[in-house]
Amino acid sequence: MNGVFGHLLEVDLAAGSVGQRAIPAVWYADFLGGRGLGARLLWDLLPAPGVDPLGPDNPLLFLAGPLAGLPVPSASRTCVVTKSPCTTPASSPYPHASTVSYSNVGGFFGPALRFAGHDGLLLRGIAPEPVVLVIDGDQVEVRPAGDLWGLGTDAFERALKKRLGSREYEVVSIGPAGEAVCSRACIIHTAARAAGRGVGAVMGAKRVKGIAVRGTRMPTVHDHRAFLRALECTRRRFEGLTGSLYGQIYRRAGTAVFIQIASNGGIMAVRNFREGTFPEAGSIGAKAARQQVWVRSSACRYCRLACKKSGQVRDGPYVHTVHDGPEYETGTMFGANLQIEDLGGVLRACTLGDDLGLDIIATGNALGFLMEAREKGHLDPSFLEGLDLRWGAAEPVLEMIGRIARREGVGDLVSQGTRVLSWALGPHTAPYAMHVKGMELAAHNVHAHPERGLCYATANRGACHLSGDDKHHQDFAAAADCTGVCLFAATPGGLQPGIGATDFAALLTAITGEDWDEARFLRMGERVFALERLFNQREGFTAADDSLPERFFTEPLTVGKRAGAVLDRGAFAESLRAWRLQRGYDPDSGQPTAGTLTGLGLTGPEAPWASASP
Amino acid sequence: MPFPGGPDPVRRRLLGGLAAAGGVLVGHGALVGLVTFTPAAEGAGLLALAVVADLARCTGCRTCEAACSASNQRVEIGGRFLPGLGDPHLANIRVHSFLPEVDVPVTCALCPDAPCVAACPVPSDERRRKALYRHRRLHTVVNDPVRCLGCRACAAACAQQRGGILRSDPATGHPTGMCTLCGGEPQCALACPFGALSLVRGAVEAGLAGRPPEELAKAMMARWYGAEEAP
Repeated sequence: MNGVFGHLLEVDLAAGSVGQRAIPAVWYADFLGGRGLGARLLWDLLPAPGVDPLGPDNPLLFLAGPLAGLPVPSASRTCVVTKSPCTTPASSPYPHASTVSYSNVGGFFGPALRFAGHDGLLLRGIAPEPVVLVIDGDQVEVRPAGDLWGLGTDAFERALKKRLGSREYEVVSIGPAGEAVCSRACIIHTAARAAGRGVGAVMGAKRVKGIAVRGTRMPTVHDHRAFLRALECTRRRFEGLTGSLYGQIYRRAGTAVFIQIASNGGIMAVRNFREGTFPEAGSIGAKAARQQVWVRSSACRYCRLACKKSGQVRDGPYVHTVHDGPEYETGTMFGANLQIEDLGGVLRACTLGDDLGLDIIATGNALGFLMEAREKGHLDPSFLEGLDLRWGAAEPVLEMIGRIARREGVGDLVSQGTRVLSWALGPHTAPYAMHVKGMELAAHNVHAHPERGLCYATANRGACHLSGDDKHHQDFAAAADCTGVCLFAATPGGLQPGIGATDFAALLTAITGEDWDEARFLRMGERVFALERLFNQREGFTAADDSLPERFFTEPLTVGKRAGAVLDRGAFAESLRAWRLQRGYDPDSGQPTAGTLTGLGLTGPEAPWASASP
Repeated sequence: MPFPGGPDPVRRRLLGGLAAAGGVLVGHGALVGLVTFTPAAEGAGLLALAVVADLARCTGCRTCEAACSASNQRVEIGGRFLPGLGDPHLANIRVHSFLPEVDVPVTCALCPDAPCVAACPVPSDERRRKALYRHRRLHTVVNDPVRCLGCRACAAACAQQRGGILRSDPATGHPTGMCTLCGGEPQCALACPFGALSLVRGAVEAGLAGRPPEELAKAMMARWYGAEEAP
């Protein structure tokens, strides 16, 4: 296929050897890049269930899409694919059973991989000592990094660039959380952009402190003229986006604007998801941050939204530089979900999380669980080892974040996530342990938002808020994640402005020289989603794992304009069933049927693509 | 020709705004002139244009790099020269990114004293031009590849005395990276989604003008974050 380099860079960390892994043309045709190519590679690289996600056999993949490196607005994303260290099925015959993980991070790293002449990076094995990977085009070096081990992600990125003598390198790294193989560790880029939900633990287990990439190559396109036309069209589409209310909001306030909006709508994570409205949302929202903290916006490569906001907390006990935040997720999980209304405290916690390389969604979720358990008397007084963890108090939260990242004392247990915590405290805590498949819920409450409930229950990496609220959104999101374009800039259709499936198809046709249309694009998303589900199924996940925490069905909201809202168990089960039927999955077992798999070009779960050998 | 896909509405807004502004951009908070020459210094009647960057508006998206490259590195297809793909490594403008977040677009400063031209060892010809010389109308720095020795003295002078945007071609030693002002319609400024780059006429008064990105970043860090640390 045109428009791709045709290989991944492959590094065997145990041997310290570097090579290239050729990618069969049919994989590009069917899975393109990013999340899709990652799912396809993971299926092959882990041919049997039961592999330890933190062991040498679990691959860690960094994948750019075929749009990355070209001046397509917002084509900046890198997809990190690996077997998740966070999730677990209700029951499985296999040890270490877990789902696929597909973390998506913006910035400059994916395009830099392509400028270096690679479609992605595959890490295998475990390095005998802490290392950094330095990729300068075709020159790849695995360097010892013992003296950089222990640095926060901010200091590390600066130190590595200084050592390499060039700011042209784009760097991703883990912080102390990843180094400690804390299962909720992130991979951080530019001190605040995160590939979240546990992929940092896999990198830490491999003893890779950081990766620096640069290069001076340029991706090619099949039809130059057609590409310029499609690019023009896409840029105009983006102009429509930035001119819209939605686009203006993102430019002005980033996702933080939804702190107030979600609270008003009763769909925010408040007090460990007990409520959907946070009366003090104004004190941690975008308006307060604009007045008190932010000085500027940052964009990822070629993006016109610039949703990332940085600044400085200028007074109070938490004076510090803010690389990013509050965003909707970080501000809500460390703010409303813990009832903290001190913006300085919330931002200090966010900065700490980013610097330690700790997943803020998962951590905020686990801390909310602990606060509620303590309030309910479900915690032994000695459990918290003297920490006065309670609603609204920022200081003990800051202390606990450090203990979680370093896995000190009780922090070691908390670092394993809300579900494991709940197991340790007893089954009476399960109804308010807010996870799906062991992955912590993000900052969206679903008492009054059943569509998002379906998203949580059916997402292939556990409770993900970005995987789509229905089949169409899921297929579109999966397909967009294959290209390298940001979901904030993409639109599944309807009234929302942005880059749509037809724009993607025009770009892909010009770049690859193959025939792409809207239907093929969406079908690719459907194929990726099904393959991820097959992976989970092979690990032992069943229909019983497509569930939601008990709280949403039994404890109605009590404050806000959606007070009284609660999920109806029957209606939710019915929506799950309808979703399976729509996808061509068995309505009871949740497994894709043979006919569905054949239709998607996935010929049978035992040996898919047996006929499609490279 | 505009940047491929370059939005016409933005272009009209930009040029219209400039006409109304009358070319006076002085002393604004974080507005840093990337050029500091004045028409008077070079003789009356010179049309003096320059690209300036507002560091408070720049988001580091690097759209300017692709726009510059697409416009200045054209490709010949079917006998026509079309805009290139926008390889940022071939651009004459480069955004330097720092932590904490400061982004500094650096382009050829068209310095009034032009250390690069001063360093050129090729003697002036009958038109008083060295191999590296100032364009009569646009005042840009232009290289004559026929007379250029490839000695790299110009790039060294730029690196030592200014922002170092002028580079030497590894093979020929000829200088690259000089701003062409795209014939008077700089594509970087037209494509900037955030209005951070402007084409202005005349003198830009700012203490930080033409300084290396490290110095600019350091000043911005002190101003925005209270950070003392050198980048």
